[in-house]
Amino acid sequence: MIPTHYFLILSAILFAIGVCGVLTRRNGITIFMSIELMVNAVNLTFLAYARQFHQLHGLIFVFFVMAIAAAEAAVGLAIFISLFHHRETIDVDEANLMHW
Amino acid sequence: MFEYAVFFFFAAVAVIFALVVVLHRNPVVGALSLVVSFFALAVMYVLLDAPFLAALQVIVYAGAIMVLFLFVIMLLNLQHMSEPATRPIQQFLGYTTSAAFGIGLVYYLLKYAVFTALPSGPFHTEASAIGVALFESYVFPFEMVSILLLAAIVGALLLSARSVAPREVAP
Repeated sequence: MIPTHYFLILSAILFAIGVCGVLTRRNGITIFMSIELMVNAVNLTFLAYARQFHQLHGLIFVFFVMAIAAAEAAVGLAIFISLFHHRETIDVDEANLMHW
Repeated sequence: MFEYAVFFFFAAVAVIFALVVVLHRNPVVGALSLVVSFFALAVMYVLLDAPFLAALQVIVYAGAIMVLFLFVIMLLNLQHMSEPATRPIQQFLGYTTSAAFGIGLVYYLLKYAVFTALPSGPFHTEASAIGVALFESYVFPFEMVSILLLAAIVGALLLSARSVAPREVAP
């Protein structure tokens, strides 16, 4: 059986990679994919602790996180489509006005 | 021993393809790499005795969400969009901050979160156990999530509809 902290460290590395993507990239879709990466890293932590403490709550939370990530992806991508129709780009530096 | 080999192989796959997502210029390559990374994470879920959630990961994340991403990338024809490297200071600060964050996180995990005692006994996480917990103690959040998904559908439809000029009222 693999110790829990192996999974925690993998999760920390994936989360840091996601943070790097959000901080350095300017393509909106790539930033969104980095956010999905961070969400998945947190899911891995939830599952690792769920197995360590034999609690089902962690699994239920992962279930909810997946549902909310799906909703977030749908709305966020719709926002990017709308932005693209108005600005012909999804560079987030261009989206600097609250109205267009 | 076999478990460790599987763990390290798929951990390396997940990390390498996550790096490709962050570093590659082409968003199509990024999306496909993210799918591979999610598959490797599904293997991690199986190693953590959660095969039901591994199936959900493959179906919902690698199946539905990433298809949505790819669909939007293809729809907006973004695969040729180049991202000029401007703002070197911001880039440098981003890389160093995230690297320091990751190193600090790993350091403190190794210092405080090392579990010497492995969990004993089998961990029952089949779909029926999750379903019972979901509909007994988590019924209210479950219903909230269904309302949230409905709101997301309506919001996505509203936002992605091509905005038209205000219609003139027929006389």
